Amino acid sequence: MAVLALMLTPAMLTAQQRPPVDPLARGLDLERRGAYAQAVEAYRAVLATRPGDPSALLGLERSLQPLNRTAEILPPARAALAVAPGSAVYGVLIRSFTALGSTDSARAAVERWAAAAPRDEAPYREWGIASLARRDRAGARAAFELGRSRLGRSDLLASEMAQILGAEANWEGAATEWVAAMKQLPGYWLTAVAALAPVPARNREAVMKVVARETSAQGRLLRASLTAHWGDAEDGARVLIQALPAERPAAVEALTQFADVVRAIPSTSATRARAMALEEIARRSTGLAASRARVEAARAYAGGGDREGARRMLGGVAEDTSAGVASASAAATLIGVLVDDGKVEEAERRLSASRKAMPTDEYQMLNRRIATGWIRAGDLGRAEQALRSDSTVEGIALAGRIAIYRGDLAGGVSRLRMAGPYAGTREEATERTALLALLQPIEADTLIELGAALLSLERRDSAAAAGALERLAGKLPAAKGGAELRLLAGRVHRGQRRTSDAERLLRAAATEEAPATAPAAELELARLMIALQRNTEAITLLEHLILTYPTSALVPQARRALDEARGAIPRT
Amino acid sequence: MRRRDFLTAAAGGAGLLLTPGSALSALTRMPGVAPWLLVPMDEVQADHLKAYGVAFRALERSRKVEWLLNYRSGSFLLPGDADTVRDCALAGVNTEPADDGQVARIRAEIQQSNMDAVPLEKAPKVAVYAPPNAAPWDDAVTMALNYAGVKFDKVWDREVIEGGLKEYDWLHLHHEDFTGQYSKFVLNYAGSAWLTEMIERNRAMARSLGFPSVPAEKRAVARTIANFVEGGGFLFAMCTATETLDLALASEGVDIAAAFADDSPMDPDAASRMQWDHSLAFQGARLEQSPTMAVFSDIDGHQVNSPERRQPLGSFTLFNFSAKIDPVATMLVQNHRQVIPDFYGLTTSFSRRTLKAGVTVLADEPNAPWAKYIHGERGQGTWTFFGGHDPEDPQHQIGDAPTDLSLHPHSPGYRLILNNVLFPAAKKKELKT
Repeated sequence: MAVLALMLTPAMLTAQQRPPVDPLARGLDLERRGAYAQAVEAYRAVLATRPGDPSALLGLERSLQPLNRTAEILPPARAALAVAPGSAVYGVLIRSFTALGSTDSARAAVERWAAAAPRDEAPYREWGIASLARRDRAGARAAFELGRSRLGRSDLLASEMAQILGAEANWEGAATEWVAAMKQLPGYWLTAVAALAPVPARNREAVMKVVARETSAQGRLLRASLTAHWGDAEDGARVLIQALPAERPAAVEALTQFADVVRAIPSTSATRARAMALEEIARRSTGLAASRARVEAARAYAGGGDREGARRMLGGVAEDTSAGVASASAAATLIGVLVDDGKVEEAERRLSASRKAMPTDEYQMLNRRIATGWIRAGDLGRAEQALRSDSTVEGIALAGRIAIYRGDLAGGVSRLRMAGPYAGTREEATERTALLALLQPIEADTLIELGAALLSLERRDSAAAAGALERLAGKLPAAKGGAELRLLAGRVHRGQRRTSDAERLLRAAATEEAPATAPAAELELARLMIALQRNTEAITLLEHLILTYPTSALVPQARRALDEARGAIPRT
Repeated sequence: MRRRDFLTAAAGGAGLLLTPGSALSALTRMPGVAPWLLVPMDEVQADHLKAYGVAFRALERSRKVEWLLNYRSGSFLLPGDADTVRDCALAGVNTEPADDGQVARIRAEIQQSNMDAVPLEKAPKVAVYAPPNAAPWDDAVTMALNYAGVKFDKVWDREVIEGGLKEYDWLHLHHEDFTGQYSKFVLNYAGSAWLTEMIERNRAMARSLGFPSVPAEKRAVARTIANFVEGGGFLFAMCTATETLDLALASEGVDIAAAFADDSPMDPDAASRMQWDHSLAFQGARLEQSPTMAVFSDIDGHQVNSPERRQPLGSFTLFNFSAKIDPVATMLVQNHRQVIPDFYGLTTSFSRRTLKAGVTVLADEPNAPWAKYIHGERGQGTWTFFGGHDPEDPQHQIGDAPTDLSLHPHSPGYRLILNNVLFPAAKKKELKT
C-alpha cells in the first residue's frame, strides 16, 4: 500500500500543479494570435457545453469572419437563441444574416429582438450598421428609419443617420442629425466636428445655419470649431469666447477642447486662435496653472506671428520667481520674442538676469539667438561679443558666418569646416553647406563686398542683397564665382517673385563656362518656367541639362521635373 | 494578316534586321557611335517603363526596332543613331552599345535558346476609351502611356459608334461598365457629385446617339468594339471593362441591367438567355441579381465588393511560352519578374470555370480557381484581358491619390501593360480588312 502511495503521489502532484485550461481563454488567446481556425474549434468546444455563452458565440463569429466562413455561425447562434435569447445572440444573427445577404432572415431577427425589447433602438442600430458593413447604404437607412418609426422618435439613431447622409453628400441633413445626436449625448460634438469639417465650400453656409440654431455649449463649440476648420480660426475663437458659459469649469473645459481642435489645424490663424483660447483659460485660472497657460498662450501667439500678444502674455510671468518652471520657460520664450522683434538689447538683459535659473544648454542656445539678433541688427561686433565664451560647434559655425559677413572668406570657411556638417538644426546645416558651395569657386581670401551682400541677405534686405550680388558677379569670372553669385541672386529674386530679374540672372548663371554651377542654374530656371506655365521652355532647358551634364548629381531631379513638365506624372 | 502570317513575317524579319552591313545598319550608323544599342530589360535597367517609350518613339521615327524575347528579360535592340541615344539619355534608360560582332553573338545565343528576335516595324496608333473629362490619373494604362511617353488619343462613345476606331491599331478599355449600370455604384454612392455627373453624361450621350437607354447604347458600343477586333484590331482591357464588355456582348436582347439604369428590372431568367457565342472570353457565367451589390457576375474570382465572397489577394505567376513557336504569348509576358503581387479591381481575376475553350492563360495564381491575365483571338484581331485596376495600388479605392509612376519605374505589373502596347508593332502589314 505504501509503495502504491509512493508511485501515485508524483503523478497526482503534477496533475494538481497544472491548472485546467479554460477553452474560452484558449479561444481568445488563439484568436489574438491570428490562429482563427483553431480559435473556432476552441469556441465550439465552449458552446458544446454552454450553448448560450455570449463570449464564446461572439468569439466564434469574429474568428469565422476572416476565414470567410460566416455562414457557419448560424447553427450555434440558433442554439444560443433557444437557451439564452439576448442582445449578443440577436446581434450575431442580424450581422450574419445581413452579411450573407439573407435580408428576410435578418429582418425576422430584428423583429424578434424588437418584440423582446420594444423600447430599445439597438435592434435597428445593429441592422443598419451591418448593412453599412456591406456597403448597403439604402438598407442601413431603411433600418434606422424603421427604428424611428417604431419607437415614435425622429431624433433616435441620429449619429448613424448623420454618417449616412454625410456619405451621400447631404451635408445639411447630416448637420441636422449631428445636432440631434449632440442633444442626446453632448460628447458627440467632437465626432460632429470631424464629420463636418470636410464639407465642401459651397455647402458650408447651409450647414452653418443649421449649427447656429443650436445654442447649447456643445452647439457653440461645434460652430466655433467648424469656423476654425473652414479658414477663419480666430473668428471661431471669438464665436466661442463671446458665448462662454458663466461657470468657470464649464468655460475652461470648452476652451480646452477648442484649443485641442485648432491645434490640429496647420495654419497661423489656427495657432493664434489657440493662443486666444489659452489666454482665456489663463484669465480663468490662478497660481501656477495661470502662469503655465500664459506661457503656452505666449508661445502660441509667437508661433502665430503675434509678438504683441506674446509679450502681453509674458508680462510678469518671466520675473515671477514663484512660478518656477513656468517662469524659466516664459523667460526663454520672451527672449526669443524680443530678438524676433529686434529688441536685442532688452533680450540680452533678460538673458543675463535669468542665467542662473537656466540650464547651460538652454542659455547657450538663447545666447546664440541673441548673437543672431545682433547680426540681423547689423552689429557684428556685438554679435562676436555675445559669442565670446561660446565654444560649442554651433557657436563656431555662427562665428564663421560673422567672419564671412565681414568679408573674411578664408577665416569664415575655416570655421564653418571646423564646425562640421552636423552642427545645429538640419536647416542650419543645409544653409552652411550651401554657403560653402557658394564660396568654393571664389579664389579671393577677402571680399568685403560679398560679405556685405550676404549680410544684407541675412538681414532680409533681399533687394539690396540681390543687387550687390549681381554687381559683384560682374567683376568675377563665371567659373570663379560669377555664375554662383548670379545663381544666388536669381534665387533671391525668385523668392521675392521678381520673376523677370530671376530669369535674367539664372539664364546668365547657366553658362557652360561654369559647368559646376550651370546644372543647378538650369534646374532652377526650369522650375521657374514650370511655375510660370512655360513648359515648352522648361522642357528644352531640362533636356539640355540632362544631355550636357549627364554626370551631374542633379540629373535625377531634372528627369523628374521633365516628367512633370511633360505631364507624364501627377504634379506634386 | 492572320496570326500565322504574322509568325512567318516575324521569323523572316529578324534575319533582315540583324544582317551586318544591311542598308538599315549603314543608315543608322553615326561617326563615333556604336551601330546598335541594346536596352537590357533585366534587373540592371534603371527605368523599365520608359524603355518601352524609347522603343515606341524609335518606331515613330521609322527606325526598325527588334524585341529580343526572353533575352535578358525581353530586351530591345535599337539602332545607335543620335536621336535614339539622345532619347535614352533623356529618359534615363540604360543602354549598352553593341557593334555588329556583339549583335551576331547575341543572335547566336537567341538561336540556341528559348528566345526569339521579333522585329517591330511600325508604331501602332493607340486609342484609349475614356469619357472626355475622365480623371487623367485614374486609369493604369493612361498613366503608363503618359509616363513612357507613348502618344495616344482618347475616344468615347460617339467616336466608337461613328466609326472612329478604324483610325487605330490598338484600343484600350479600363473601368467602363458596358452593361450601362454605372459600375452598380448608383445605390451605394447616391448623391455623390462624381456619380451624378457620370450618370448625366452617359444619359446625355445615349440620348444624343438615339438610344433609348444607357445599357442599350453601351451594348452597341461593345458590339462595335468587338467588330474592331474581328476586323484585325488589337484590344487590351483591364478591370471591369473585361467582364462587362463580354456581358454586354452576350446579352443581346436580354435585359441584364437593373431598373435604375433603364427603368426596367433585370430579366430574372437573364442568365439562361445569354448568348455566349457573342462574347470574346467568357461563357456560362452566373449573373449577380442584386442591384445594390457592385458585382456583375461570377466571372470575377475575387468579388471585391461582396463581403461574403471576397477573396484575399495573393500573387500571380507569368507562364513561359515557346518564343519561337508562340511569340505572341511570349511577347505579352516579357518581364524581369515571374511572380507579381496581385491587385484588386472591380474585376480582379477571371474564374477558370467561365473561360471559353481556346483562351490562352498568360498568368494565374497557382492553385487558385482563377486566372489573372488572358489572351485570345477573334476574327483577324486579338484581345488581351488583365484583371485589376492599378498594379501599384493593390487596394485602390475611389478617390485615392494618383499613382506616381516615377516612384515605380520597375513595376512588373505595368510592364505587362506596356508589352501590350508594343505587341501590335510586331506586324509587318496592316491587319485590318
